Amino acid sequence: MRWFLRRLAFYVFAVWLALTLTFLLPRLMPGNPVGGLLQHLSPSQIQANPGIIATYEKLLGGNHESIPTAYWQYLGHVVHLNFGISTSNYPAKVSEVVGRTLPYSIALVGIAFVLAFVLGTAVGTVAAWRRGGGFDTFFVPLFLTLGAFPAYFTALLIVYFVGLKLGWFPFQHAYSTDVTPGLHWNFISSAIQHGILPALVIVLAYAGGWVLNMRTVMINTIGEDYVTMAQAKGLKDRRVMLRYAARNAILPPLNGFAPQFATAVGGVIFVELVFSYPGAGFTLQQAALGNDYPLTQALLLVFAICPIVAMFLTDLANLVLDPRVRTA
Amino acid sequence: MSQIQVELQDQPFSPLSAPATRRGIKVPAWIVLLLKNPKGRVGLAIVLGIALLAVISPLIADPASATNFSFATRLAPTWHHLFGTTDQGEDVWAGVVVGARRSLATGFLVALLATGLAATLGITAAYVGGIVDDVISLVTSVVFVIPTVPLLIDVTAFLHQRGMTTMILVVGFTIWAFEARILRGQALTLKNRDFIQAAKVSGESTWRIVFGELMPNMISRIAAAFVLVFYIAIIIEAGLEFLGLGDSAKASWGVSLYWATVNSSVLQGEWWSFLFPGLAIGITVLGLTLVLAGIDEVSNPRLRGIPTRRALLLRRRGPA
Repeated sequence: MRWFLRRLAFYVFAVWLALTLTFLLPRLMPGNPVGGLLQHLSPSQIQANPGIIATYEKLLGGNHESIPTAYWQYLGHVVHLNFGISTSNYPAKVSEVVGRTLPYSIALVGIAFVLAFVLGTAVGTVAAWRRGGGFDTFFVPLFLTLGAFPAYFTALLIVYFVGLKLGWFPFQHAYSTDVTPGLHWNFISSAIQHGILPALVIVLAYAGGWVLNMRTVMINTIGEDYVTMAQAKGLKDRRVMLRYAARNAILPPLNGFAPQFATAVGGVIFVELVFSYPGAGFTLQQAALGNDYPLTQALLLVFAICPIVAMFLTDLANLVLDPRVRTA
Repeated sequence: MSQIQVELQDQPFSPLSAPATRRGIKVPAWIVLLLKNPKGRVGLAIVLGIALLAVISPLIADPASATNFSFATRLAPTWHHLFGTTDQGEDVWAGVVVGARRSLATGFLVALLATGLAATLGITAAYVGGIVDDVISLVTSVVFVIPTVPLLIDVTAFLHQRGMTTMILVVGFTIWAFEARILRGQALTLKNRDFIQAAKVSGESTWRIVFGELMPNMISRIAAAFVLVFYIAIIIEAGLEFLGLGDSAKASWGVSLYWATVNSSVLQGEWWSFLFPGLAIGITVLGLTLVLAGIDEVSNPRLRGIPTRRALLLRRRGPA
């Protein structure tokens, strides 16, 4: 229970820090959000409307309050999911844009990243169990090499070779232009087809890390006496591998899940960009280049909260898997 | 980011003498050990090879042709243009070898900055303990879960100023956290050694113990952490440039990839314009990963090819 309270305090602190950071960042930096909106206008348009800057400032909430007041206002806005108006998607609200793009990212990253974890730890387990065997000497260097390629490069390779040359799967956008998004089979099958290649990139880019990590921990676990004991008892090999060695070895990789997720969330931005996938990462990149302050602020907050949520979920998984945590 | 667990076992310490005083011309024993390890050797060879190419780049390619436009556009690799040319007629080979300078230098300096921060904070936290440790550890674990790339995108976008210095400072100050965590854990195992206690009893100041005793004795662990951050820095830095947040007028691997996507070379089938810069990143990172794996094996005998009891048991029974 004490452990749980400590973790809870940490989450509260982390979320608060994410909020404060997203609040302070635009204010610490040179430039201001109105500039992003004015970029869309020609100089003559601005000259013709002398009041336009003041109007836009008012529209975007202005920057005239003192920092503490603005901070309280910001926290209140966040609670109501009111992040203002996206200047690059004017006049859409930021919350609309986020709501439209985030589900794609969550589905893509969520599925692909869990797949990468499962595949990576499975390969690592078997590689360690039969160390030096054919499986170990082939798959470990393979995943090591694939993991050394940055996600954006793997993505470019796959777009070119699998998408363009072989033409097996679509490689641009999240669904065909002739279907409308909705809960019907046409859209879902189109979305799955478009998701296969981006997901493959994420799996290839992130499985390697898990393979190495799991293999290292597993080799150490295999040396433990209880594993030798289980073998001496004559238990089935598969049972010793999974129930005795792997179950204990999975804890360190599992604890690395959340921080890894934090980096994967970043890597997804690259993957989405290469595939023109309309997710939150692609939107963040567009917003950042387009000086869309309200949208970048909201998306950064989303990106900061995701790993915290992932961390909470791994803590819950730890509770189930590790009896030591329950008693602490 | 790597999953490699950096757990180094240095040579056993003789109780009262800090081995650090024996620095100098003598090559540290762990480097010799690393060179004896096949993975470490291959990795070092790759990294040094790429670094050498970067150093001698003006001799093997014309730096101007890396960024200057020419009329020889979209040429597939030929003898004259080893790696082909881009949409703007820049020579890809020149871009790769000249760009190596900028990419490697940025990655190296980022790693230097991050390692400096991480070593100072992590080791101080472990040695001083108490509230200092609590505060540093809390900050570390929070920075740890904030996703680096989105944060960097925001910061570099808001800064409106794109150059190498900005890139180094911004990346360095955001990726030190996990390294600090690793080093803190390793400093904890050292802090109760006799030579640290001896230094403490003899009245050495905290700073002197952290920088003069703990840090020199953790140099191999810090080196391993440095390698880890080095390759992460290369990937992140090239990634930011790939997103168009770098200085896209200068040659570097990330910038080459950026222009390849902006000019949609991929969709037009010009594979050479992204394959070679990407491979350069991949090979460098692979080299650094191998160095790390080598360090790992040197320090953890169980990972080496030495047959363990279980392996012998298995061999007798045949593969399970």
